[in-house]
Amino acid sequence: MNEIESVGLIEESLRKLESEKMIDGKLNFSESLPLLGPGTQLDSLGFISFLTDLEERISLKTDEETYIVLNNIENFDINQSKLTVLQLAQHIVKLTNAS
Amino acid sequence: MGRAIAEYYAQNGFTVLGCGRGESTLELPNYRHSRLDVGDEAQVQSWVNEIKQEFGKIDILICNAGSVQSALLMSVTPSEVLNTFLRTHVVGSFFVCREVSKLMLKNKYGRILTVSSLGVPMHLEGTAAYSASKSAVVEMTKILAKELASTGITCNVLSPALFKSEATLAFGSDWAESLIAKQTIKRYVTVEEICNVISFLISPLSGPITGQVINMGFVN
Repeated sequence: MNEIESVGLIEESLRKLESEKMIDGKLNFSESLPLLGPGTQLDSLGFISFLTDLEERISLKTDEETYIVLNNIENFDINQSKLTVLQLAQHIVKLTNAS
Repeated sequence: MGRAIAEYYAQNGFTVLGCGRGESTLELPNYRHSRLDVGDEAQVQSWVNEIKQEFGKIDILICNAGSVQSALLMSVTPSEVLNTFLRTHVVGSFFVCREVSKLMLKNKYGRILTVSSLGVPMHLEGTAAYSASKSAVVEMTKILAKELASTGITCNVLSPALFKSEATLAFGSDWAESLIAKQTIKRYVTVEEICNVISFLISPLSGPITGQVINMGFVN
């Protein structure tokens, strides 16, 4: 998968959560949107639901079981949890091209 | 005990998907067995993913992963014994509960039941490694119960009194008698009694009951 496809899947997942009212307010989607950390519109459970839904979409698209492990994301510090759409999209590109 | 619980529910109309390190000794139309090591993250993820693909959801998780080894005083307990308990009870329960709870979250419903031991509230001699790992399961379950409280998923702990199984019989009658003597209700519990508690906790009507530990046969 490339970065544009990855960003697209992330947006699809977030739009689904928005339609299920699991996002705080109206989704202002952009590549710099924080998914985790200050300014995020997702609460903890919303973030888990988002990741689970995203894993499923990636698996469907690539026909491979895919699991997103936060620790494996470049520049992600578990102690200063901050993750943007672009960071995650770049990780998905690496993840799917490595398999 | 896991086998007996699986058999009970498979015979009572549930579709039971069990797992264990060895081959299944249970052959029932409603029962399917998978061989896996719950301490292996990738194996647990694949197993839950297969269930997701085929069934789309898991309503109930009975996390009974257990390992029983001979009781030894802590001063002479080898690290291998400690590591086996930690891997099976703590790591295994963590992986299984984590993966299954994610699937339950999608359906906004679920009943998670972990199994601890009376060794924990009894502070039973010879079980430092075993009971420490089971105590961790209790703590993990209570925290998960709080984290998932708003989602329709409940998490509780069953701590059964001594149950006659191959594993417990292997320790001999002296050991069993001394343990039963420490219980408040001084006898073995049956699978029907264990499943009666489980059925209560997994009932859709038990939605407000979460983060609880039910000790059978023992007043804590």
